[in-house]
Amino acid sequence: MKKILITEDSPTMRSLLASTIGSVDDYEIVEASSGFEALRLLPREKVDLIITDINMPDINGLELISYVRNNPNYQHIPLFIVSTESSEKDLEKGLALGANEYLVKPFDPTRLLELVSKYLG
Amino acid sequence: MSGNNDNLGKAVKDFLAEAEEIIDQLSLDLVGLSDCADTGDCNPDLVNSIFRGAHSLKGLAGMFGFTDIADLAHNLENLLDSLRLGKAALNQATVSVLFDSMELLGTMVRGAGTGVSDTQGIERAVSRINSCLSTPPTTETVSPLAGLGISEKILGALTEYEEHRLLENVKKGRGIYSIHASFSLMTFDQDLGELTDTLKQGGEVISTLPSAGGGLDAGIDFEILFGSELDTAAVTALVDKDNVIITHLGGGGEERAEAETSVAVLDGGETAAAVDTAVTAKSFSRTVRVDIGKLDELMNIVGELVLSHSSISQFVDNLRRDGHSAMASELGKSTKVLERKLTELQKGVMEIRMIPVGQLFEKMSRIVRKVSREQGKKVELKTFGADTELDKLIVEDISDPMMHIIRNAIDHGIEPPEDRLKLGKDEKGVIRLSSFQKGNHVVIEVEDDGRGIDVERVKKKAREKGLIGPAEVLSDREAIDLIFLPGFSTSDTVSEISGRGVGMDVVKNNIAAVSGMVDVDSTLGSGSRMTITLPITLAIIKALIISSAGRTYAIPITSVLETIMVEDRDILTVEKKEVIHLREVTLPLLRLDRFFETTGMSVLLESFYVVVVGVAEKRLGIVVDDLIGQQDIVIKSMGETFRGFKGISGAADLGDQRTILVLDVGGIINEAMRGSA
Repeated sequence: MKKILITEDSPTMRSLLASTIGSVDDYEIVEASSGFEALRLLPREKVDLIITDINMPDINGLELISYVRNNPNYQHIPLFIVSTESSEKDLEKGLALGANEYLVKPFDPTRLLELVSKYLG
Repeated sequence: MSGNNDNLGKAVKDFLAEAEEIIDQLSLDLVGLSDCADTGDCNPDLVNSIFRGAHSLKGLAGMFGFTDIADLAHNLENLLDSLRLGKAALNQATVSVLFDSMELLGTMVRGAGTGVSDTQGIERAVSRINSCLSTPPTTETVSPLAGLGISEKILGALTEYEEHRLLENVKKGRGIYSIHASFSLMTFDQDLGELTDTLKQGGEVISTLPSAGGGLDAGIDFEILFGSELDTAAVTALVDKDNVIITHLGGGGEERAEAETSVAVLDGGETAAAVDTAVTAKSFSRTVRVDIGKLDELMNIVGELVLSHSSISQFVDNLRRDGHSAMASELGKSTKVLERKLTELQKGVMEIRMIPVGQLFEKMSRIVRKVSREQGKKVELKTFGADTELDKLIVEDISDPMMHIIRNAIDHGIEPPEDRLKLGKDEKGVIRLSSFQKGNHVVIEVEDDGRGIDVERVKKKAREKGLIGPAEVLSDREAIDLIFLPGFSTSDTVSEISGRGVGMDVVKNNIAAVSGMVDVDSTLGSGSRMTITLPITLAIIKALIISSAGRTYAIPITSVLETIMVEDRDILTVEKKEVIHLREVTLPLLRLDRFFETTGMSVLLESFYVVVVGVAEKRLGIVVDDLIGQQDIVIKSMGETFRGFKGISGAADLGDQRTILVLDVGGIINEAMRGSA
């Protein structure tokens, strides 16, 4: 069973992501409604994949990516950005910070599942 | 997404609920934006929060295939992005475009799923939005950030917006500080929240970058980028914590005199404090969103528990009567405890349903701005008692009628500024929106200082329309009440609601649908006052159970003023209607069997009970055969089929397998006053 952390402040979007990925039996979902919650969950849950939005209150997605990539405990974890394409610059920065993939909302559920299985096998 | 239709249906519902919430918040924020647009000194957090709302809405709408909503939200987001990045000018014209687009978005969200779309409206809105987007000013070639010595790690994680805020702070000559803080992983959100709150009193928190703490698993560090007019010493004094290291990166006037700095603290403090609450409330929200249907279910269960409790009490009485007094007293004690807890439970569930009317007032303030702008009138809205609480369902149901009343007050009440000056009034009209609790009711008053209602004109109109006879004599009060009659409204009367063709009769019916009443008072030349009286909740109520012609009914106790015994000979007949004199006041009587045209036998006795009911200023005596007692009841809707059935607001279960009808006192009074009873 692989564990996937979804960080997204919109409840509807979060449950949509969770139900898309959760439809596959092999994946367990952990949900965070803010960057802070993700920071708190990371040491508690052994996460195999992180999915994050960029525009969020408290800390934003880029700051979360930077934290993950600069922390020896988590830097190996694959990380996807799922965000609305409003700022190309932000997306580029996310990739530069070490995000593995990015999907633009509205995302294609099939494509998301393909990517998840590509990284988690 | 799974192909499960139920899941999809629920997801769409969630989307619509969230979308409405976002739009409500956005509209609120826009009011704030409108207030500061003139000075151009808007809090960046406010603009950013509006941007994020439009951004979320676009993403969500796109996901659910509402392309119209996504498109409009996308265009709005573009404009807001330009505003927050300083690429477009913020002024009243822009705010007005934002307001209108948001309104359209709201309409689209509410109409989502109906398949109807106002393509022209959307096109118009999009072209107005685009007209606000001026060509971007030439960007500076040399970044002033280069000399600041901010680490690559921090710069690399700044969003475009944060980068812009950093630049703005530098341009304003503020000092840029790096503030390093270490916290425990257990409590960091609270600690960091406190730190940023403190910092916001002295400047702007630009970004917050987390990094692994020294112990990795146990702690977490944050690197905050902070812009402030304070010098290093003042920032250090402001924070005053051991685990925080403050480094001045550049900018600002370290050499600035102390006196100047202390003024800056005050300025910064005031503006920051105003936004603080909103920002922290959002980030550290401890609220849960609940479907009101679930609360209704809970309330029903509580209601059923109350009924079970009554049967147990009944059983205790039986035991006692049959001589098992020891057992009865034991069980009686437990029943008392159960009763107390039930009351608490009932109160708790009730409180969850309550929201402050302030939320409604906010909506109205938008309407006031919008309508007064459209009409070229100057109107100030003053609100009082915004924290009065009311059942959420009632607040929602009276939102439309309130809107009509407010529109009406501006359309027909408040005079144009030049007319007001001529009349010796302030050119700015005032609408007072106040709310207070009065017993088991909540009263909302809408008062304007405009023209008032011309009683003679109303009478003339009513005669022309045949609503009153040519010779009928009416008091001023009665004449004013004519505006509530169906068919009274026409395009040139005082009661028409502009452009909507909705008369005051609809407003009255909508308010009556939630067991409320509306009254109007007016003085020609100095203004009108609409008084809306509402029950605090509709969910569970105390009722007086009565019987008439062999049928049992419930009367909400909130409407019952008193019950009296009346002798048959005390009844007088005035204009074919039965009345009695009660303490020098004439009280009209109503016989339920005649009102409902039921065929049962009403006992004709020499003396009988009269239940005196009243809503707002109106009184009526209901003649009943017997008073059975008081009981808590849960009103259940009888569905669409019985919607048009006048005088009944629902049904209730009495606990002994009997279902009875609940009287709609407001409706009955209206009908009786109209003379059909």
